[in-house]
Amino acid sequence: MLQVEDLMVHYNGAIALNGVNIKVEDGEFVGVVGPNGAGKTTLLRAISGVLTEVEPGKKEHPSLSGTITFDGKRIDKLRAWKIVKMGIVHCPERRRPFSEMSTLENLKMGAYLRKDKEGVKKDLKRVYELFPVLKERRNQMSQTLSGGEQQMLAIARALMSKPKLLLIDEPSLGLAPILKEKVLEIIKEIWRSGVTVLLVEQDVSITLAIANRIYILAHGRIATEGTKKELMKDRDVREIYLGL
Amino acid sequence: MITAYLKRAYSSFAAHVFDVPPRLLAFLLFVLHLVLPVAKPDPFIQLTVFDIFFLAAFAASWDLLVGRSGQISLGHALFFGIGGYTTGILSVNLGLAPWITIPLAVLVGVSASLLIGLPCSRVKGPYLALVTMALPLILVQLFKLDLLLPITGGEAGVGILLPIIPSAFFRMLGFGSRDAIRAVALATYYFALFLVFAASVILYKIANSKTGMVFVSILDDELASKACGINVTRYKLMALAISSLFAALIGAIRGHFATIVSPGRFLDLTVSFAPVMVAFLGGIGTIYGPLIGAYIYYTLDRFVLQKMTQIPFLAFTDWEHVRFLIFAVIVIVLVIKWPRGIARFVTDKLHDLEEARDLDERGKWIWKTYKKRKKKE
Ligand SMILES: Nc1ncnc2c1ncn2[C@@H]1O[C@H](COP(=O)(O)OP(=O)(O)O)[C@@H](O)[C@H]1O
Ligand SMILES: [Mg+2]
Repeated sequence: MLQVEDLMVHYNGAIALNGVNIKVEDGEFVGVVGPNGAGKTTLLRAISGVLTEVEPGKKEHPSLSGTITFDGKRIDKLRAWKIVKMGIVHCPERRRPFSEMSTLENLKMGAYLRKDKEGVKKDLKRVYELFPVLKERRNQMSQTLSGGEQQMLAIARALMSKPKLLLIDEPSLGLAPILKEKVLEIIKEIWRSGVTVLLVEQDVSITLAIANRIYILAHGRIATEGTKKELMKDRDVREIYLGL
Repeated sequence: MITAYLKRAYSSFAAHVFDVPPRLLAFLLFVLHLVLPVAKPDPFIQLTVFDIFFLAAFAASWDLLVGRSGQISLGHALFFGIGGYTTGILSVNLGLAPWITIPLAVLVGVSASLLIGLPCSRVKGPYLALVTMALPLILVQLFKLDLLLPITGGEAGVGILLPIIPSAFFRMLGFGSRDAIRAVALATYYFALFLVFAASVILYKIANSKTGMVFVSILDDELASKACGINVTRYKLMALAISSLFAALIGAIRGHFATIVSPGRFLDLTVSFAPVMVAFLGGIGTIYGPLIGAYIYYTLDRFVLQKMTQIPFLAFTDWEHVRFLIFAVIVIVLVIKWPRGIARFVTDKLHDLEEARDLDERGKWIWKTYKKRKKKE
């Protein structure tokens, strides 16, 4: 479904990704773990085409080389909205809800590209079933939601875009342990309903518990990959990368 | 005990009184203006209000761009001026009727905005603000070139534009020449009132349509907008085009009423700064706020700043420059200190108050259930 080959990303000369190869098959749940600064966010941004976005306070002109293909088509030169149209939806790091809008308006923004009103209605219902708290808070301004609720909103908004492949960036960031588990349980449920998921996380244990296959990213390179079993077998991997 | 009670009384008062939607206020203002010439047939007041109207509509067009789509223009005089100059040059040199030259002026204004917007919307940073600020000044210099002087009139400007509402029309209806002048003044007033109201309503409708929501999402978080599949560049251009359309339209009509289009009143930096201040004073991103902001601005400018010229030791200063300096400082302070506008600042404060009250009530509820539980035990 998704194939990333020899992906290199530089930020103003500094290398963030150095020849990354990743493959996601239809229906898989793939995890990418790695420490802070490993390049996880950069990887997802490269795939979804939003790399040119400037973080406040950081100056950069990212340059990208390598190829990214989705369903057999090159997407690495496409604009972000075209990639969303093809079915790759990015749920960004630090949630990023539209703070000037209510929960419901945020969800509607997620469905921005869709023309099938009936389908949108159905998906809204489904999202409310997955996240009942969002239904309760549908008219509340998103900036007044708690961190956990905002994370749910971010995932729900991404779902409203009807993804074939959902990219999720650090959903556990800043959440209490109980909430973390709840959010990840819901992500798993979304995957079970037929959405392919590429999850990026610092939290190794939850990713191991949830993903079919895991890549370990360090210093902009894929150090190793495998299922939980395979990774746990290798003592070096366990000690160096997973800290277990 | 008493302070708590007073606090609660105040916050419930605030919730009821300040909950009057500003939209209703703007509408009341409109009705007030509708009856004003009847209630107080003073031509000076009518002229003043007429000025304020144009300022309000101009600022509303700026607000759609800056307050809603987050693209900062510090030189909206560019579009206003292009509107005025295009209609002026065509009207004076070719003698074309206003109903032809004004649409052409709008067309030129929008085209200019797209030419500027195309390169600027792809890069981040203050490029649009800088380019729009510089271009009117460059235009003024261009207009002074010998080659263009006969057409543009240089410092003196283009004149005399054909009137939109000719007094001949009223004389034809059988008015005496004095009555005709009065009728023109009144018709002008109502025309301006209608224009401002229509422009504000249309801009407000756009701002609150699906397209307007997309503008807000871009202002809020560009990356998240892209992640939602929004073609950010296209919407930025669209906001710029709509905004410049209204700015050019208002500039063109203003030109016809002023009869002369000159650099000082159409391309000057103070013309660029006026909508910034008006929108900030009235509430940025509200679209209808500028109507109220224009009143505050006008009062400050005419009745405070210009009265200062009469203070003896200030009288010798080069007043225009001092005024400009004061405006520039105010704009900078506003942009830094209250980026969401003064009215927003106040409503946000009220909102905080309301939230504090909510928290207070929730706290009480917890306290009550806690007591109940204690009793059961
Ligand atoms: N906007 C940026 N400008 C410059 N360097 C950046 C930018 N974003 C990330 N980087 C750098 O790229 C590397 C990878 O960052 P990132 O992809 O955010 O890692 P992760 O998400 O794994 O924490 C880091 O060294 C970081 O400093
Ligand atoms: Mg990251």
